[in-house]
Amino acid sequence: MPSKKNLSTPSTSTSTTTTTSSSASATAAATATPTNPFTILGGIFKNYSRSTPQRTKLIDAFLGFLVITGVLQFAYCVVAGNYPFNAFLAGFSATVGQFVLTASLRIQSNPANKSEFASVSPERAFADFVFCSIILHLFCTNFIN
Amino acid sequence: MRLQPQLDMASRKAFLLFFVSLFVSWVSAAPLTGGRILAVIEERSDNAKYSQFLMDLRGRGYDVKLESAKKDTLALLEHGEKAWDHVILFPPKSKGYGPALTPQKLLDFTKLGGNILVLTSPSSIPEQIRELARELDIGLPPKDYTVVDHFNYDTVSKSEKHDVILATRPAVSSAVHNCFSGTQDDLIAFRGAGHTLGNGPLLVPILTAPRTAYAYDSKEDFAYAQDPWAAGTQMQLVSAMQARNNARITLVGSVDMFSNEFFNMKVQRPGSTESRKTANKEFCKDIAAWTFGEKGIVKVNAIRHYLSNEPNAPVNPNMYRIKNDVTFEIELSEYNIDRWAPFKVSSGDSLQLEFTMLDPYYRVPLLPASTSSNYTTYTTSFKIPDQHGVFAFRVNYKRPYLTYIDEKYSVTVRHFAHDEYTRSWDISGAWVWIAGIAVTITGWIGFCALWLWSAPVAAKAGLKKTE
Repeated sequence: MPSKKNLSTPSTSTSTTTTTSSSASATAAATATPTNPFTILGGIFKNYSRSTPQRTKLIDAFLGFLVITGVLQFAYCVVAGNYPFNAFLAGFSATVGQFVLTASLRIQSNPANKSEFASVSPERAFADFVFCSIILHLFCTNFIN
Repeated sequence: MRLQPQLDMASRKAFLLFFVSLFVSWVSAAPLTGGRILAVIEERSDNAKYSQFLMDLRGRGYDVKLESAKKDTLALLEHGEKAWDHVILFPPKSKGYGPALTPQKLLDFTKLGGNILVLTSPSSIPEQIRELARELDIGLPPKDYTVVDHFNYDTVSKSEKHDVILATRPAVSSAVHNCFSGTQDDLIAFRGAGHTLGNGPLLVPILTAPRTAYAYDSKEDFAYAQDPWAAGTQMQLVSAMQARNNARITLVGSVDMFSNEFFNMKVQRPGSTESRKTANKEFCKDIAAWTFGEKGIVKVNAIRHYLSNEPNAPVNPNMYRIKNDVTFEIELSEYNIDRWAPFKVSSGDSLQLEFTMLDPYYRVPLLPASTSSNYTTYTTSFKIPDQHGVFAFRVNYKRPYLTYIDEKYSVTVRHFAHDEYTRSWDISGAWVWIAGIAVTITGWIGFCALWLWSAPVAAKAGLKKTE
């Protein structure tokens, strides 16, 4: 898999990713001309599940979970009203904040962005993520009173 | 019964003072605002004309001294203090009252709380009184202008001029305190001058002229009015000014009203068949009683405010919290000739409590809660607004014929302490968002566990290599 190659050879990661992605799109274009939207979606999904690292997939799943949680909380606020408002703020901001932090982790830990965060190892990124998340959770539980 | 511990000393003193004053009042039996009356009357012989009125005053405990305005030693003030408690000015025979009774001195006298009853007659309104009236914004007619009424005159006294007019007592109103209303079909005989009132807020009419009355120059020889000076209900026969220190000045357009002749007179309306006795005696007694502070004096006995919901809450604390439920009580008495009676707010009127910080945040009606033998307790409960700062409980009750009540007690209103807010789980509406946080944190823990568990193989290999 290209990702493994990337991790093992960090110096050439950018060039390899670009080549792989371009070649993938080229093969997709070659194999099936995009007439059917389902074919396109299927292609994207196949490409995603084939070329995305395991951890990034995990992050994406967690992000999806957070989006659903956030939407449910906001929908409840719209339907049932915002009393007590600080509880709404705490609950909703916990979810949104967690989403932002997780998205940051995804950017920093994604092997594709290795060159931009040369000084940040995935372990360091995860440690930052854990630290910031704990602060966020403490803040929210305190704020909801 | 709620008592204020911090005022224990003060209440003990007040108690002592009460007994001393009880003793003093038993000795002298003086009226509430003092009993020394100076009656300025020019000739001793005139004394007999008003003897019933003066005797009535003496019978109520007043010490009435008759003095001539010309007397050298006459002075309203002595060593900067009032030498008299009240003054009655009868119209002088000569042009003026003399140097002791200048408008300035009369006003100085009222500034110290002295009450003045001014009696005038059309032929004798001295310049001092005109000047005093100008100061009070009362318009007095020129000399010899008399009030006549061709529909409400007395037919018995056979005056072709119709100048003995028959007025009725002011109508009973639900909006004001009826100090002068008495028996409604009373007839009051009046022969004298009317006057008009300006816009001063302290001026109140006591007796208004009938609708068909008018004032004209009685020295002109016309059978009808060439040039009426004032007419109808815009003209007043008796009116008063209560100064901000509750001193009262009453101006009466007719001195004859107070004479024995008018007290005992039988009068008859035109068109009526029976003649009746006038109610001048009772009405003049009412005027004198009000002017000299025997009526319409309202006293605040006590003010209490405390938390409504707590049975043992301290009374009159200095501090409340926003959204506290507070009860406010005020005890009011009214003096009635010889004793303190419960004060009753007129049915069309409202006693109100203001909760103010610069502006009133609340203005709530105070309702009578209980009545004792000599006071009524008015009370109200309300929730303190969601605004912290220095607030004041204020009762600002200024009504015609009553002494002014303006009580103000400030309290601090603080905001919620940090541990006084409701916990989130006590509010069912917050449960969804508590669940939101819980789910987020649980999901995060699960995510962290999975993240650590799913470390890429290559990374592990790399780590091993470095080891």
